[in-house]
Amino acid sequence: MVVLQERVLRDVISEVLETMFFTDVDFEECDTGSLPFEYGSETLLVNPRGCIVLNLRMGEKFARMITANFLGLDELKADTVGEEELVDSLKEFSNMVAGGCHAHVNDADWKLGIPRAWRIGADTTDSTSGLCGICFEFLGEPAGTAFLRYLPGSGGSAQGPESN
Amino acid sequence: MSYNILIVDDSGSMRKVLLKTLRLSGFDLGECYEASNGRQALEVLEGKWVDLILSDVHMPEMDGIEFLRSLRQIEFFKNTPVVFVTTEANEDRLRTLMELGAGGYVRKPFRPEEIRALLSQVMGEPHGGLAGESSEGCDF
Repeated sequence: MVVLQERVLRDVISEVLETMFFTDVDFEECDTGSLPFEYGSETLLVNPRGCIVLNLRMGEKFARMITANFLGLDELKADTVGEEELVDSLKEFSNMVAGGCHAHVNDADWKLGIPRAWRIGADTTDSTSGLCGICFEFLGEPAGTAFLRYLPGSGGSAQGPESN
Repeated sequence: MSYNILIVDDSGSMRKVLLKTLRLSGFDLGECYEASNGRQALEVLEGKWVDLILSDVHMPEMDGIEFLRSLRQIEFFKNTPVVFVTTEANEDRLRTLMELGAGGYVRKPFRPEEIRALLSQVMGEPHGGLAGESSEGCDF
């Protein structure tokens, strides 16, 4: 049973981006699978009966900007943000969004997994294709997407398959 | 008085953000140490004195709960203030942290004033003046 709704996801993403990344986004209807984003992240919420997978996808420009904001760097120097810092910050973004979803679930059975993030390469399988999700925009430009999937029977470990 | 601190979080970016928050909160920082999980934190603490530990809960290898449990078994660190900055929402796990002697916790995402308020409660008011980012000490 998917216990989280789009509205919750929107509220949590807004709160995290505003509070820690000093960024406001708008949410739009879109075909989430068709947008070519460069960075992805994943965090699991696990209980003994299954897991909820939170996937985020973001464009590089947006990812660099929020990373610079997060680290307190000059936004104009977002291009100089290192790949390691960028991926690490996106992991933390994913972690906080999943944590916010976890709080809304309000069920002691659910455990939050350790997030992972990566640069989407040409050979990366896009596991979110064809799923329902939400899109967010920054200053009228597509900035990212968020998906929640429920996988029954996948519980037992709160770590993603490639968690560090 | 300057405080020696240890920041434990598997995210290097979050460690930087927390350090910046501490500086902006006016706490006079002495030595600053960092670790990416509980096990590494215990290694870092060998032979060192810290006045305050800020720790995440969800970390690979050794999480924050196990870290605190292990720390409290070391006589030297039995009373060292440990504050958690975490996405943890599970009330049982948060209660466990408090029962193990955590000084408190702040949920991520956080506003700097939340960290400052909790640390003031745990450590007393900062002596370094507010909103003045010190360039001394703690450069990681």
